Order: sequence, then structure tokens, then C-alpha cells
Amino acid sequence: MSKILVCIKRVIDYNVRIRVKPDGSGIVTDGVKMSINPFDEIALEEAVRLKERGIASEVIVVSLGPTETQQQLRVGLAMGADRAILIQHDTAVEPVTVARAFLKVVEQEAPLLVITGKQAIDDDNAQTGQMLAALWNRPQACFASRLEINGNSALVTREVDDGMETLEVDLPAVVTTDLRLNEPRYVKLPEIMKAKKKQLDVLMLNDMGVPVSQQFTTLKVSPPPVRQKGVLVKDAKELIDQLKLKGVLQ
Amino acid sequence: MLNTPTPELLNQLKQIVGPSGVVDQPQDIAPYLVDHRKLYRGATSLVLRPESTEQVSQILKLCHAHHIGVVPVGGNTSYCGGATPSSAGNEIVVSLSRLKRIRHIDPDNYTLTVEAGCVLAEVQQAAEAADRLFPLSLGSEGSCQIGGNLSTNAGGTAVLRYGMARDLVLGLEVVLPDGRVLDDLNALRKNNTGYDLRDLFIGAEGTLGIITAATLKLYPLPRTRVTALVAVDDPAAAVALLSFLRSSGSDALSTFELMPRIAIELVCRHIAGINDPFDDTHPWYVLIEASTAQLTDHLTEELSEVLVRSQQNQLVREVLLAQSSSQREFFWRIRETIPEAQTRAGGSIKHDVSVSISDLPKFIEEGTALCKGIAPEGVMVIYGHLGDGSLHFNINTPDAGAHPEFFAKKTALNNAVHELAMRYRGSISAEHGIGQLKRDELVEFKNPVAMQLMHTIKQALDPHGIMNPGKVLAGD
Repeated sequence: MSKILVCIKRVIDYNVRIRVKPDGSGIVTDGVKMSINPFDEIALEEAVRLKERGIASEVIVVSLGPTETQQQLRVGLAMGADRAILIQHDTAVEPVTVARAFLKVVEQEAPLLVITGKQAIDDDNAQTGQMLAALWNRPQACFASRLEINGNSALVTREVDDGMETLEVDLPAVVTTDLRLNEPRYVKLPEIMKAKKKQLDVLMLNDMGVPVSQQFTTLKVSPPPVRQKGVLVKDAKELIDQLKLKGVLQ
Repeated sequence: MLNTPTPELLNQLKQIVGPSGVVDQPQDIAPYLVDHRKLYRGATSLVLRPESTEQVSQILKLCHAHHIGVVPVGGNTSYCGGATPSSAGNEIVVSLSRLKRIRHIDPDNYTLTVEAGCVLAEVQQAAEAADRLFPLSLGSEGSCQIGGNLSTNAGGTAVLRYGMARDLVLGLEVVLPDGRVLDDLNALRKNNTGYDLRDLFIGAEGTLGIITAATLKLYPLPRTRVTALVAVDDPAAAVALLSFLRSSGSDALSTFELMPRIAIELVCRHIAGINDPFDDTHPWYVLIEASTAQLTDHLTEELSEVLVRSQQNQLVREVLLAQSSSQREFFWRIRETIPEAQTRAGGSIKHDVSVSISDLPKFIEEGTALCKGIAPEGVMVIYGHLGDGSLHFNINTPDAGAHPEFFAKKTALNNAVHELAMRYRGSISAEHGIGQLKRDELVEFKNPVAMQLMHTIKQALDPHGIMNPGKVLAGD
């Protein structure tokens, strides 16, 4: 039977109000709640469902991040993953580095399927899944809203600009998940307790022979401009005058 | 006796607030004449929207001199018709919605001074922007105003940890019925200087004056929240679970809300996007939340361990622990949409009672039997803030039909539930207030000496009876 590898990222919880550091060098992460990237949570759910349907024998959840990322991996284990791998690295790295590191795990585990979120909500790159497929030299089917496994191939439905597109890909392959694919489950307490005892291996990125290149330099991070306060107009005539003044109307 | 304002007086009143503060066209007045539950329909010829305490003072001074009734209104979310003018049409309405400045925030003193017309959610946001928590939280927080919250001593879902609205106030600015301004906007935790006047106005429902501003207590902003949805056998198990959580050192407990199976079914049926998060059906549920200012895993660990022990002791049937903020929001949405689901399911006869937590299971059992005896067709929807002993003890119509025969039993049901509450030394209004809805019942159920004292206070502060006439106390 086959394995599914799920790649997840630890990101700032989507509910947190993001604050930019006063010097513009980045955003404030100290004392901020972190969670699994919501798209990756959907990937996890899909993998666990495939296992429950007897399509996969093992779900492995992997992440690259600081040691605290173990919290998010434990959530993955509570949701139903069988074991977890942390590729530990304390500073942020670029998608290509993450893809190279995940490739090492893929080569080790030889999964039938790799599932990950279509993008992470922190940097919105939407690159890691695609890069991993390219490095692995296997097909990719991105932004899945429906996934069906038939033996050695998968049917993946994805939302495109003019409707739905269904791809058939040979397995093994990389699938990235969109919001509509599923709704992640609610975790029962006994599963959380069981997750504490599941296997969680820690690898050090620096020991994996993966080149950690920094191709980009962040020049400045700034918050979006504050929305200007609206003005109240007396009547339709004043509204039209104002719109003309602003150049919206001729 | 109150007078009807003459056209000259109405003009004088309009001049106080200027054209932008006057609402006198029937279509603009209309929203002020109906209460949130559509139980009452009032009448008035003028709504004033003052923008300063000084304008409120001038309005009351004039109304005091001419014996004109004044109905203060905030977000108009009263469950008891507390802000709806009488149908006689001789009262004027004063809306506080333009008094909405955040006057001062003092993060080190953990205080915030706001004007009465600030919407509760805006107050919460102002606190959060300063990395602080204003803990008052209730279903209507997106539209209710802080002035109304204080005037009705609102409760909500965080009372277990932080207390009622009353417990969250340090100082008040109040315009008295004769127009004098009581400026008591102190930000002191310790202040023993004579009678506590502040507490007189909180919960007075606008019958002793108009609260125009308040200095509120703030708390550290919780960074860690652990939220669980727990299935239990019955209310007795829920009470036992609460005791067990508390005695197991869960000081961080901030929410403990009881919900029956029917409430889950109603929200699943009537609210979009809600489905039952459990695989099996259970008779009762509890929403539990614990929070702390620290960013820590310990709280999850602690609560999980206590809940595991509760499960081993068969105190709980099943536990779901929110794993993300979207799951937390989902659990809360189940609880918070019960009133809406109930409204969509049909009509209801509502009670807002409180008894000692230890008496709650017996109260629910006996109250259900009494109501079923009177109205066998009624659907019991009993839910609420078990953590502070208050319950929304509601009886729904079997479906969305009109059911006049069911509503004919309203008084009998009210009496049965309220008499039972009194037998348990409970309250007939835990958090919604009296307004006009429970005014006459109050006389029956409240201690006569307390009623005399309330009349004495009312007489002393508002000798002409102009403030929110006919609410809480019957006028002459």
C-alpha cells in the first residue's frame, strides 16, 4: 500500500492583526499566535480521508521551520497523520529551498502522492508544490477542489477563470489544495492525547545537503495605506459635484 | 403628570442640537418606534441626536422644566422594550448615537474612557488596538451601544471570568433629570468616598438620568485561547464538570455555555454553513473556553488533561478541541446563532432567569415539566450561561405557523417559570433588564421593601418622572 506525504507550514494565525515592525524590516512575530497554514490543513484532511477510504496506508506530515513547528505537526498527528517529520531550521528560507528539502524526504519515503496547500497565507508565494514536482520530475495538479484516485492515476478538478478543469495525472504526483476541497475535521480529545505518543522525527536542514540560497533581499515591509475617511454629501447634486472634482465623472 | 410638548417647545429642543441632530420626519422616526423583538410600537413627534454632554444637559433641563417625558435610546437592542417610547406619543426620544468619541485610553492604568454612543464592538476594538481587552461580549455587540450596556447592566458570555457590565465600570458621567451633570469619570480602583452613586445609574435603564460617558476597566489581552465543545448527558453533568474544572485549577476559565440538542438541530437547520461537528448525537452540549495573556501551550495541556480525566470519570461523553481559529469561530457561531435560528424556527416565549448554579439542573427539570403541562405543543429551547447561573428558558412554537392558542398561554407560562425561579430564590431577569416587558411582574416578584426604596430613589432624583417613563417602575 501507499504513502501520502503532506507538507505543512507554520504561519501567523489568520485571525491575528498583522503589525509591521517600526523599522520596516518585517512583521512582528514575537508573542504572536501561530497555526497551520489553512490551505495545508485542507491538504491534511484530504490525506486522512484517503487513508480512511483505504486508498493510502500511511499519512506522513512534514514541515520545515523552527523547533516550535512541532506544535503544528502534533495538530496534524491529532487530525489523523501517522507520523511526522520536522526539518528544523530557525530562519525563513525561500520556496526553492523548502522544495529541495521536501524532495529529500520524498526520495526517502517514496510516496504515491504529495499534497500541500496551494499557497501559504504569510508570503502568498504559491511556489513550493510546483517546484517540488519539477525537482521530483513528476506531474503536478494545482489548486484542487476535487481529488479522486484511480489506481495509478488521479483525477483533479481545479477552478480556472472560465469554469472547472479536470486533469488526469499519473501517480506519483504533487497536488496542491484549494479552499473548496474539503472542510477540516474537528479533533476529538482522545486523538489529541494519542498524537502526543506518535512518532515525530527531527532532521536538521543544515545536515541534509540542501543548498540554502537566498536569492531575494527584502528591502522594506510597509502596511497598506490607511483608508481615508469618507465625507457625507447632502444630496445627489453634491455627490455628482464631488465625483467630478475627483475626476471619477466627466 | 407629564405634558405633551408644544410646537414652541419642540422648536426650542431642535435648536439645542441643530439641524443635523433633529429627526422629525415620519419615515426617519419609524425605526425608533419599534423594539428589537417587535413586541412594542410606540409614538413620538421628535427624536433628538445630541453630539455633546452639554446638549444632553440642555435637553433634560428643558424637559424637566416643562414635564416632558424623555426616552433615551442606544442601539435599540433591548429585549424588554426598554428604549421604545409609549404609544401616547407625548415623549421625546434622545438617541446617544452621535456621542461616540473614544475620549481617552490609558493602557498603564488599564482604563478606557468612552462616550455612551460607542458601539460595543468599537469599544472592544479600541481596547485591542492598545493591546488590552474590554471583556464585555454579547450577541448584539455589533450594534448595541455602551451607554445601553451600562444602563441595563448587560451580561453576556464572559461573566464567569470578568463579571457583568457593572463590574467593568470605574467612573461615569451622567446627566441628571434636571440637567445637572454628574462628572464622576474617575479611573480609580479604590475610592471609598461615601455612597456609591455610580452603581445607582448602572442597571437603572435610563430612569434616573442619561449616562453620557464611562471610564471602563481593561484587562490583559488573551493571547492563548483554548476552546472545547463538550457533549454531556444532562445539565447535572454540566454542573459537575464546571465544579471539577474549577477545582482542578482552571482559573483561566472564561466561558461555560450550556446548549441542548434541540439548539444544535435548530442552528444546523436554519443557519447557513453550520453542521453538527460531532459524529453522534448527544443530549446536551457545553461550550468551554479558557484564556490567558501568555502565549503558551500549557493551557491546552492543562485543559486537555482535566477533560481527559472528566471523560474517564464519565462526566463527559465526548470532547472536541478547536485546532484553529476557524474551528474556534465555528464553535462560537453555533452558540451565538441560537437566537437567530430560534427566530427562524417560529415564535417563542422567552425567559431570562437565573438561579444558583447548583439549583440549575433541578430548575431545568421542574421548569420543563411545568411548561410541558401548560403547553404540551411547545418546544423547550433552554440554553445559556451556565457558568454564571443564568438561562434563556425559552419555549418555541412547534413550527413557523402563527399558533395563537400557544401564545394565549403566555401569561400562564411566564408565571410558572417565574414562580419557580422565585422558589429557588432566583431572578426573573438575569441580564435583559425590566423595561416595560417585566415591569408589572417585578412588583409581584421583588421584595416590597426593595420596591419602596426604588420608588424613593426615583422620586428624589426625578421628581417629575420624566426619565424613561413607564420603564422598570410604573409611573403615576
